[in-house]
Amino acid sequence: MTPAARRILGSVILIGVVGAAGAALYVRGPGPMAFSGGPKVALADYKGPNPTGVPANMTSASPIERGEYLARAADCMVCHTAPGGREYAGGFAFKLPFGTLYSTNITPDKETGIGNYTDQQFLDAVRSGKRHDGARLYPAMPYTSYTYMTDADTLAVKAYLFSLAPVRAAPPENTLAFPFNQRWAMTFWSALFNPDTRFEPDTSQSPEWNRGAYLVEALAHCGECHTPRNLGFALDNRKKFAGALTAGWRAFNITSDKTTGLGSWSDDDVVSYLSIGHAKGHGTASGPMGEAVDHSFSKMAPTDIKAMVAFLRTVPAVPSPDLPAKLAPPAPPSHRDGMTANALGKTVFQGACVSCHGWTGESALSPMATLTGAWAVNDPGATNVAQIVISGTKRHTPQGALSMPAFGKSHSDTEIAAVANYVTARFGSKGSQITASDVADLRKQTEQ
Amino acid sequence: MANLNINGEQKSFDAPEDMPLLWVLRDILGMTGTKFGCGVALCGACTVHIDGKAVRSCLLPVSAVSGRAITTIEGVGTTPVGARVQKAWLDLEVIQCGYCQSGQIMSAAALLAATPTPDDSDIDAAMAGNICRCGTYVRVREAIKHAASERQT
Repeated sequence: MTPAARRILGSVILIGVVGAAGAALYVRGPGPMAFSGGPKVALADYKGPNPTGVPANMTSASPIERGEYLARAADCMVCHTAPGGREYAGGFAFKLPFGTLYSTNITPDKETGIGNYTDQQFLDAVRSGKRHDGARLYPAMPYTSYTYMTDADTLAVKAYLFSLAPVRAAPPENTLAFPFNQRWAMTFWSALFNPDTRFEPDTSQSPEWNRGAYLVEALAHCGECHTPRNLGFALDNRKKFAGALTAGWRAFNITSDKTTGLGSWSDDDVVSYLSIGHAKGHGTASGPMGEAVDHSFSKMAPTDIKAMVAFLRTVPAVPSPDLPAKLAPPAPPSHRDGMTANALGKTVFQGACVSCHGWTGESALSPMATLTGAWAVNDPGATNVAQIVISGTKRHTPQGALSMPAFGKSHSDTEIAAVANYVTARFGSKGSQITASDVADLRKQTEQ
Repeated sequence: MANLNINGEQKSFDAPEDMPLLWVLRDILGMTGTKFGCGVALCGACTVHIDGKAVRSCLLPVSAVSGRAITTIEGVGTTPVGARVQKAWLDLEVIQCGYCQSGQIMSAAALLAATPTPDDSDIDAAMAGNICRCGTYVRVREAIKHAASERQT
């Protein structure tokens, strides 16, 4: 090769490498708190009240008690518990397009749990996605969010987990297809998409905002469901909180967009939704959000909920173009008026649904069963309507347990598609047109 | 101490706010005409009237109905529509085992009060949530039409 040819080849390789790096950085996009724009400082240099840790009234609590609060705020239990299984013993199935992942046992059992983890190993797992044996974790474990947690908070969670009774339970083997079964490949994913950095307060924002930012980003990991994903299956923070489909449910837009986000909700509405999973006129949390409320948000201090709301309020508006600009009012009281086509959907609705939800959509039994005003029935994709019919929901409310039965075993895909289309047409402003195969697909994503 | 207006009478009792109305009726007040079927508002056996509308009492917290008029199967016969429905049920011998029938009668009476001459689609819309394991559906439908026609004669 002549020197000239070598130079040209060298330049081509250089351009290729720079281009690939540029493309990777472009795909990675901004971090989850970049939107605030203000100067960020290391926590140690921050002059305001500590935005991390537990609420002020708990600062003298033991590490185990603090860890319990933080573990709830981080909602560890829901994913690390199989349906009907022992808490924190793992085995919950994540159904992905390329196979099934099972959550791990995080009780202190020495053989099947995390009983042998040192502090450093625990920090590495939770914040860097690195297992005790050096293998990489899959990002179903939201370590790209937990990475913002402080050492003290992460180790308080460890102290709490180590205070639990050890449970001997090994989760089933993952069934991921090639190339997703190559754990080592996650090293590159992690290098690109895990900032592996701790929370840095924004000095231009209020102490309440910074507390909210820490809770929302480091602990509650809202973005893992509510932020769309990029080409690399990492969070695309250019559309932060604009909503996404995750695990067979739609997590709706929680940006400050006035029509399709939270922009027109009052602070009290958002506080109520997070605290009890219901806000008057805005529907009820079900599925994964219902679990987040029952096991996490409802256990948090009111000051922390308010801080999260203060932070949420500042997330830039991103519209959801597929959602209608206006939510539908209550439907007419007579079955004859309003939606009349779709005979099968009506037959299913009048047999199985109307006793609780009513012909108007305003429940005579409980405000939590009211359909009017909920995004789910105004979503022309009908994802959550079909999914809740398939899976049902069980909620723990201040008024006691409340559940909707799962109709997935009693009704066919065709019937569920028909009733979802009937419900969105009758109670929403733009009816859906989903098919039996859409329903079959939704079933697969939530089967355990 | 809670107070409820049931079949035109004031009833006082002690019960937690979240107790379903059905439990209050059956277990506290001894009014066992209203039946427990599925407990999840899917079968209709527990139907009562709240301000004249058919409502499943098994999921209805008692705190939600204070100050409202509750009618049960024990009292529905004192209303003109309820009396006609009960007579039609006897005339056509609708009942087989009977377990679901207080719920069927309550739903039928609420339907006729709101829609005096219902057609089949009205009957389906109002009655589809009342399940009968003996399969008396055909006679239920006939009896509703019979009760509706009695009003006109």
